[in-house]
Amino acid sequence: MNPVRILLGLLVLGLPVIVGLSACAEPPESQGFAGLAASVDSNYDHEFLQPAPGDGLTFPDDWGPHPQHRIEWWYLTANLETADGQPLGLQWTQFRQAIKPRPAADPAPPPENWSLESAWMAHAAVSFNGQHQFAERLARGDIGHAGAQAKPLQVWLDDWRLSGSAAEGVWRLKVDSDDWGYDLELSNTGERVAHGNNGFSAKSFDGQGSMYFSLTNLHIRGTVTLNGETIRVQGKGWFDREWSSQLLKTGQQGWDWFALHLDGGYKLMAFRLREDERDYLSGSWIAPDGAVTTFGPDQIELRGGDWRDSENGQVPGGFELQIPEAGVDIRISAPPGQYWNAGLYPYWESPVTVEGSHQGLGYMELTGYRN
Amino acid sequence: MMVKAMTSHYRRHPLQLLALAFMIVVATMLWTGVSVLTGQARDSLDVSEEAVAAREAVVRSDGQPVSVVDFVALRTAGICAAPWLETTRGDPKVRVIGIDPLAMACFDAPPAGDGVGELAGDPFVDMSEVAGQPGQLSLLISPGTGALPNGYQRKEFRLGPATGQLADSFLLNLDALSLLVLFITGLLVRSVYHLGLAQRRSSFALLERFGVGKRQVYRLLTAELIILTLVCVLPGVWLGQALANRLGQGFGLALDSLFDLSLYGSADTPVPWQAAVVMMALVLGVCLLDRLIPQRRVSRDKPAGPGIFPAWVWGIMAVIGLVMVMQAPSLIWVFIGVALVFAGVGVLVPDFLARCADVMARRRIQSANAPLGRWRYLELAVMFRNLALPVVALQFAMATVLAVQALVTSFESTFEQWLGQRLSAELYVEVPDGVDARTGALTLAQMDGLDAWHRVQHGKATLRGDSGDATGTDLMAISPVTSLVTGWTLLASTDAPWAALSSGGIMVNEQLARRQHVELGQSLRVEIGGQSLDRIVVGIYADYGRPAAEVLVDGEALPEAFTPGFQSFSINPGQRSVDDIAQRLTADWQIANLTIRDNASIQALASQVFQQTFLLTRAISVLTLVLASLSLLVMGWVFFSTRSWYFQLLGVWGVPPDAVRSQLRQLALLLTTGITLVALPLGIWLTWVLVSRINPLAFGWSLPMAVYPGFWIELGVVMAVIGLVIAWLIGRQLAGQESLRPGANLIDGGER
Repeated sequence: MNPVRILLGLLVLGLPVIVGLSACAEPPESQGFAGLAASVDSNYDHEFLQPAPGDGLTFPDDWGPHPQHRIEWWYLTANLETADGQPLGLQWTQFRQAIKPRPAADPAPPPENWSLESAWMAHAAVSFNGQHQFAERLARGDIGHAGAQAKPLQVWLDDWRLSGSAAEGVWRLKVDSDDWGYDLELSNTGERVAHGNNGFSAKSFDGQGSMYFSLTNLHIRGTVTLNGETIRVQGKGWFDREWSSQLLKTGQQGWDWFALHLDGGYKLMAFRLREDERDYLSGSWIAPDGAVTTFGPDQIELRGGDWRDSENGQVPGGFELQIPEAGVDIRISAPPGQYWNAGLYPYWESPVTVEGSHQGLGYMELTGYRN
Repeated sequence: MMVKAMTSHYRRHPLQLLALAFMIVVATMLWTGVSVLTGQARDSLDVSEEAVAAREAVVRSDGQPVSVVDFVALRTAGICAAPWLETTRGDPKVRVIGIDPLAMACFDAPPAGDGVGELAGDPFVDMSEVAGQPGQLSLLISPGTGALPNGYQRKEFRLGPATGQLADSFLLNLDALSLLVLFITGLLVRSVYHLGLAQRRSSFALLERFGVGKRQVYRLLTAELIILTLVCVLPGVWLGQALANRLGQGFGLALDSLFDLSLYGSADTPVPWQAAVVMMALVLGVCLLDRLIPQRRVSRDKPAGPGIFPAWVWGIMAVIGLVMVMQAPSLIWVFIGVALVFAGVGVLVPDFLARCADVMARRRIQSANAPLGRWRYLELAVMFRNLALPVVALQFAMATVLAVQALVTSFESTFEQWLGQRLSAELYVEVPDGVDARTGALTLAQMDGLDAWHRVQHGKATLRGDSGDATGTDLMAISPVTSLVTGWTLLASTDAPWAALSSGGIMVNEQLARRQHVELGQSLRVEIGGQSLDRIVVGIYADYGRPAAEVLVDGEALPEAFTPGFQSFSINPGQRSVDDIAQRLTADWQIANLTIRDNASIQALASQVFQQTFLLTRAISVLTLVLASLSLLVMGWVFFSTRSWYFQLLGVWGVPPDAVRSQLRQLALLLTTGITLVALPLGIWLTWVLVSRINPLAFGWSLPMAVYPGFWIELGVVMAVIGLVIAWLIGRQLAGQESLRPGANLIDGGER
């Protein structure tokens, strides 16, 4: 669950380039999903599949791409520690943006056609000691230098690659940027978590939504290279898979999203879509035994605070989150520093610590705060 | 009251004010238009060069062309590479470059983010639009890229010949032309303005008597000039932008055709305020210069002469300029040389003309109607001396117009002739992809009743220098060699060049000959299809309108491994019908349709492109002529007015009014003819500079030198008509005045 806005960025900035090679389009003032949809060729609207509550999840296929859906991503956040106990945050995301829908059973066009039915984007970031490193890669689909497959799981763009087997639960993620990178082993120690209604996660009061599931109990170990120094790390990770064809609706301005590892083995995913009239909130409370409780807009309270100035405007450096029915009353805080992923479309992606009724760690993504 | 007094002159002579305003507006429009276009072209050139600046290409070590598989192999190995496919598409064929903007994002200066539009629009298109089209796929990398995977190696990436420099030269040429126009405009505006001031001197003297100080008059004159310039420059800038927009399309097409340089979007072209500032500075500078430099005040209205240097210094300066133009290694030296020649000529010519008039006056002493003839020539000598600046300005303007006209006309006629030779066959058949052109050739060879035909293959070759350095070049192969090509006019050739070509010789185009200093009889080492061949140069042919170097060989002598990029047949059908030929070829090639084009339409298309090329130069030329004519009219009229007291004296001496008018006509005609005569040699020399010096340096090819006396006559007639109009206006003025008393200032400093 997560960077919807990043795809918005891809759509708003990227698509005009790749589809029409027209002049750069500025992001619209209202950066809702309606804007996202508007920038795509609407001729294909009716051909894209729209997620619905009854869709359900299918494995291992749902680890792979959904070419008949417009957008999807594979997304990892990790709260790691170095050998001497220093916290290190890490993110990797790969997005697919369909330009033209294609039934999953249909073969992809031959690579030599250089066809442009989809565009891919990968993001990698490392947050360590108040420093935030970020890199972005772009590619077109169907020619081979970016793609995904379900079994064995492979998600790659250039030489960045997540590979392994979903069934065996051990993956390898390798990212090399110019002067930093990481090489990690990811072991899944828990069950898949289907959010919302059997994987259908509503994103508005109108019922629009996405298909969404997570691995919330990843054990991660490996190395991170920063400033020419390779350091060993290990810790917890959270992996999301999500796909849809239309998410935000008109009036939705941005997005606050949290994936938290809490003490006692509890996990919490919560998000808020900020709207003109009434924010849409949703969350999944995951018990140590994997039992998922879904909370709706009336059951979650979220307030931003600790506003901090940043290069892209003011962002909340912390939040207060309450879910009375789960006994949750926590303060979520980003460490000092700037955590903007300065790609085609900048967004805030930072590790967080949790205090209050529960202690813990996690990740926070904020979009739509950019001036 | 003061304002009223100051403006009384223009209220009495509104046409003079209008003419001055019109000159400033037209000059601003010209300067702005050219500035916008050349600025836009320079930006485009920068973008185009930046797009591939300092790039290298990855090639396969096994010599096979790279494909999408290689691209993926490189990218997944962590190499930042981007595809680049150059091809043509559409009808008429337009050069396009297929790129993958997403792949290019990994370069240090990616075409993403804020600069995402940099590679937007023509000629860049998405790879998916041109995939499968004939053309060479290149995989670009940055020079700093680390080690490549096994099986790949790097090589220098070039878009083709170094057209950037040629395009720059072309733009420099345009700049120089517009600078010349600017210079001429400055002289013209100054002349008209100062002649107007001469007319107003009696008014200023009157003001002085009423207690208005000279300083105040100067201040008011300055304010008047600033307001006039502002009022004229602003619409001039607007009109200049409109001119640039109007000519932009043709200019872009011309740049694309000549230099493979595409003009990028101009929707957000900023208002060229710099051009307005330049024009403001120019007009104010040339008109107020005398007041800014105190020592100049003294000599302001003195007859022009060699001035600060003796005449021989100006003469030597002109000679140095002439030598410099002949020997110049680059355009800038040509321009400096031209400037020296113009400076020398500009200073010496008025005095020369005045002396000629003096000589003629002395000769008249012996003739029958001696007094009037003598008066006429002496008056002419006075005019040449007093009108030195406008005379020179008009001479320069006319010389420029003559030269540009000669350049454009000789280009058109040469190009028409050349294109006629190149497209001498009636039909043109493009060989479709995937078919064997050889079977087509066999079919044509076996068809009875078919007239001359040949197969043309285009591809690439590499020239090896003595030191082993390699230069890529275009290759054209023709077979069989028939009357369709043997009629070509070659720039240089050995005896029986076409027979020599068929016997293993090679021809090169002018661009290659100039760049590589290739001469007839020289042996060239050419690599074609992986095979190295030594060939003797048997001819140099003209290849106008494109910068690429090219070699021409007999198609029969091509190595088997050569793969043509593009093939066609040129056919004279003779007794066969077009349908018949099409039917046979489609049957042989097993294709559904075959497009056969008649060469007349291609020729028309090509001519159209080149018409556009010179639209801008024509516009500059015509507008300069308009400026020059108008200024001649205004200045002639004004100056004749200042001499009207002397003209009236003729009547006092008993010369009948008709005879006075006749004398005025003759005087005006002598003035304009004198200027035309001195403009001619300068114009011819400037023509030579354009076709034989500037053109090869700017375009890479030269044009034959041609002169067009018909146009001289046309120009002479225009000048004569203007002279007659001046005489008529003055005649009317004299007739309308019972008696004209000269004011003290009117004749102040003038010669009698």
